Amino acid sequence: MTMATLEHQPDGAATRQGRAAFWRGRLLAQASLIIPCLMLAALLALYGSLREGVFTIDELNLDTAAAMTLLLAATGQTIVLLRGGIDLSIGGMISLGTVLAATRFGSDPAQAAAWAFGIAAIGALVGALNGALITVLRLQPFLVTLATWSILSGTAMIILPTDGGSLPAGWMKFGFSQWLGLSSSVWLLLLLLAFWFWFKRTRLGISIRATGSNERSAFLSGVSPLGINVATYGLSGLFAALAALYLTTQTGAGSPTIGKDYILPSVAAAVIGGISLFGGRGGLVGTIIGAYILTIIGNLVFVLEVSSYWQPIVSGIILLIAVLASSIAEKSARRSLT
Amino acid sequence: MTDLLTAAAVTKSYGGITALSRADFSARAGEVHALLGENGAGKSTFIQILAGAVRPDGGQVHLAGSLYRPRNPQAAQDAGISPVFQELSLIPDLTVEQNIWFRREPLSVARTVRARALREATEALFARHQFPTIRPDQELRRLTLADRQLVEIAKALSSDPKVLILDEATSALGPRETDWLLGLSQGLARAGTLVIYISHRLGEVRQIADRITVFRNGATVAAYDTKAVDDETIIADMLGRRMDRLYPERKPTATERVAVRLRGFGVGHRLDGIDLDLREGEVLGVAGMQGHGQRELFQALFGIGGARGSVEIWGKTKTIRGPRQALTGRDGLALVPEDRRNHGLLLSRSVRENLTLSVISRFTRFGITDPKREGKLVDEMISALKIKAGTPEQLAGTLSGGNQQKVIFGKMLLTEARILLLYDPTRGIDVGTKGEIFQLMRDLAAKGYAILFYSSDLAELVHVADRVAVLRNGRLAAILEGDDNSERQILRAAMIETRAA
Repeated sequence: MTMATLEHQPDGAATRQGRAAFWRGRLLAQASLIIPCLMLAALLALYGSLREGVFTIDELNLDTAAAMTLLLAATGQTIVLLRGGIDLSIGGMISLGTVLAATRFGSDPAQAAAWAFGIAAIGALVGALNGALITVLRLQPFLVTLATWSILSGTAMIILPTDGGSLPAGWMKFGFSQWLGLSSSVWLLLLLLAFWFWFKRTRLGISIRATGSNERSAFLSGVSPLGINVATYGLSGLFAALAALYLTTQTGAGSPTIGKDYILPSVAAAVIGGISLFGGRGGLVGTIIGAYILTIIGNLVFVLEVSSYWQPIVSGIILLIAVLASSIAEKSARRSLT
Repeated sequence: MTDLLTAAAVTKSYGGITALSRADFSARAGEVHALLGENGAGKSTFIQILAGAVRPDGGQVHLAGSLYRPRNPQAAQDAGISPVFQELSLIPDLTVEQNIWFRREPLSVARTVRARALREATEALFARHQFPTIRPDQELRRLTLADRQLVEIAKALSSDPKVLILDEATSALGPRETDWLLGLSQGLARAGTLVIYISHRLGEVRQIADRITVFRNGATVAAYDTKAVDDETIIADMLGRRMDRLYPERKPTATERVAVRLRGFGVGHRLDGIDLDLREGEVLGVAGMQGHGQRELFQALFGIGGARGSVEIWGKTKTIRGPRQALTGRDGLALVPEDRRNHGLLLSRSVRENLTLSVISRFTRFGITDPKREGKLVDEMISALKIKAGTPEQLAGTLSGGNQQKVIFGKMLLTEARILLLYDPTRGIDVGTKGEIFQLMRDLAAKGYAILFYSSDLAELVHVADRVAVLRNGRLAAILEGDDNSERQILRAAMIETRAA
């Protein structure tokens, strides 16, 4: 008896119902991105009701500048989280980057430029080393990057024991420069988005996400374990170094301890933006929204004139709500689709 | 005509355990060649060697006349050998099309994947092989097991292999998809591909295979032209002895007592208006085409997914809110799930831990477990079910498929629940174990257990169940018993209105 020839046609009502369930499922599947968007909108509405001029280009320029260091660090973290790992060493790398910049740039623009590239290269190399250690020694990313964080922080302390040093005046103008009314930070953000929309469609981008989703299947399909880890953590190190360089344009100094302030927020921004700690799911757009949410919370605390200790409390609550809401949405999506 | 693929005296052992002691194999281009054997006979090891996932200790494989020694799965694929593994090699968070072309995507100048070209290639592939409908942009984790299997097949076909290996590929498929795959295999063979077909379903093998090679205990024991050999001989070769009967004698043991009474039972829009009585001592079969509500019925009874309508368990009205509630005590229900590797077993845990996980309270006093009483329960179960494990501490993941399934049965029986929900319990397990499981089911029924039994293999329902309830579009289409309980009648009931619509 052949069944392949029979057409299976559900009746009209079932189709309509099916279609409604289908769209509901699609919507729920995007919930981990929609939820942070709604949160950001709510926070902005609150912020806008408390202060004049929130919805202006100037405010966008300011907030982007405030968010950019975190955003750069979180971009690297996003890539690592998609791979199913975590990178704590970015804290050490950011500290090391700022002290190297503050002590080595000097006043010669050529020397400063050379060191800027040097710092980026060190970031990528240290990251690649993380990836290699994780693969070859078969150690947990958490442990390996905890160790390298400690090593990098110590190195930063030796180079510059206290906050200080100096940067060329021209270097610090970067944050104030504008083009077509948009600040350099906003342009940097657009560049970051362009990078992401390119990267996520490359074979490497897909392979990183695939490896985070199911390591065994990815390796069976020809992904190289060493290659993928070196690339993932190398990119994370590179972005941490870029975050350090950006930070020095704002602070004008080096700090051997500042990096630790970015480790957990970089994870928080990504998770609020819908990235799964188990890997494979999410994207940079979510992380960017997450970073803005964290930044706007800081602004709100300032405008409300309450103690600045409220900032981490509110951030924590927002984190919980975001994670909870996406998890509920994911569950109902699964129900309506299987 | 010379053979496309020949293997001579291939050996492989893991530690002290010999998986292959002497595998010989020879197959032509343009044929469907079945590879048969019990689980543990070495079929999996052999095809993993062909697929480049495992390297043999000794022996030689030749492909198209030259020595074939792939370093990794990639190299095997480059040489034209594509496996469809039972254990799915797909990535849950990528879409269907991304999975099919993973690492072989069409790239633009900017080194990015060309979305349109990817879609076109996928649609062309689906059209060329007349695939059942799957949306290419759907994320894999949102697909059913059957659809994932189809994607796995598509992935293997996408490289236009010279040798396609199908390992139990139909075990996850419904009747309609199975027929499609059988037709596809024959079509590919006609076009010059060698299809190596591994299945526990002799009917399928008979339908499409030109030749058959039988493995037993890691060695090749026989090779036949399919037309020149009967089923009994093949089964005898696989088992090393004449199989008495695959299906046990079926004595009616059902009583008047109703174990589960469903009235107007339904789930969402996928299952509706089910009136069904499962009696004490009865094996009640459930049949239907893939996706017509069987899974929903089992899950809802076990408390997964909200249900409506009335449920009476042993005469008492019940609302089952979740697996914990369903499991409890002698009045409870126990389920053998569809996907045993993911849902039924903790593969990295021991046989003992798996068996007793849901019944810890049975050997716990004052919050402390009693290892002696636990050990006794475990030993009883291992010997009663003839679970082949070195010790109770052996990891469940290292057992053969059939023995894993027995562990799940043991786990279920230890709950003391007398209503058993068996969802495709023989999927992908060998003939010998199948026979044991059928016997066990009839024995349990004789002891007063009530068993609801779904199988994707209709012959099992016909031969093991007392009655068969056929579902169609989420509704009860017929209940067949006696002479009406036949494959023909089940198919008629499952399809007839579909035909009219």
